[in-house]
Amino acid sequence: MLESIKTIFTGYFRYRGREGQISFLLHRLTGLGTLLFLAIHIVDTAFVYFAPDLYKEAIGAYRSTPFMLGEIGLVFCVLFHGVNGLRIAYFDMFKPAGWEIEPARKSVWITVIVSVVLWLPAAGVMGYNLLHYNFGLFGGE
Amino acid sequence: MTITIREVKIKQNYEHVAWKWMRYSAVALIPLVWIHILIQDILVGVHQINLDYVVLRWSMIGWQVYDILLLSFAFAHGMNGLRQILNDYIHSKSTRNVTAWMIFIAWIGITTIGAVAIIAAAQKNLAGI
Repeated sequence: MLESIKTIFTGYFRYRGREGQISFLLHRLTGLGTLLFLAIHIVDTAFVYFAPDLYKEAIGAYRSTPFMLGEIGLVFCVLFHGVNGLRIAYFDMFKPAGWEIEPARKSVWITVIVSVVLWLPAAGVMGYNLLHYNFGLFGGE
Repeated sequence: MTITIREVKIKQNYEHVAWKWMRYSAVALIPLVWIHILIQDILVGVHQINLDYVVLRWSMIGWQVYDILLLSFAFAHGMNGLRQILNDYIHSKSTRNVTAWMIFIAWIGITTIGAVAIIAAAQKNLAGI
């Protein structure tokens, strides 16, 4: 068991698949991260029905600085996972030649750039809210 | 370099259906999830969200349908993805079965909790006002 876990990690670091390997890893990690958040999010939002008093506590946690920072990261995960998923589906269905090594590597960088461009305005607004409400900047309390 | 494209007829089996489900749900999820995040996290923001806000949303049939779709597609997509990832590291057939059942039960359980809340929360809370 320990040995196989070790193999997983050394494999991930040693295999030099460059962009293809990195986007594969990022797709999995962003997917798992989003799933973890989603499971928690479904249950705590269900408090609205099952335990309305607890929902206030949950919202309080969401407004805390670590959670808000986590949400900014979560938005990047969701955007990258979606853009990368579109890239994969597009190549598979309409443009198999995109899977040749050079265009595939280039497409990974395009995916990263598109994700970051979509993420920056979102991160800006969420970062503004964080500084406004939790640190009293921009006229916050 | 040339790429040969072969047409292969694949017999339908469970994994084939599950794989197609990942693709189709993904297409639905891009607008569903992105619009959800745009509204709740960016336009509204977590500091404006409270019990009344959620109850108000869930008193509208349109948003109830939206959230039910979001819940069903997103969580099924995620849980099947988890199963696929775990299958890369689990090689025994019986352990795969046990894992698949555990994921299935967790999926059914959490989806039901979420769906009940979306359907029933507004009625219960509006009755209390």
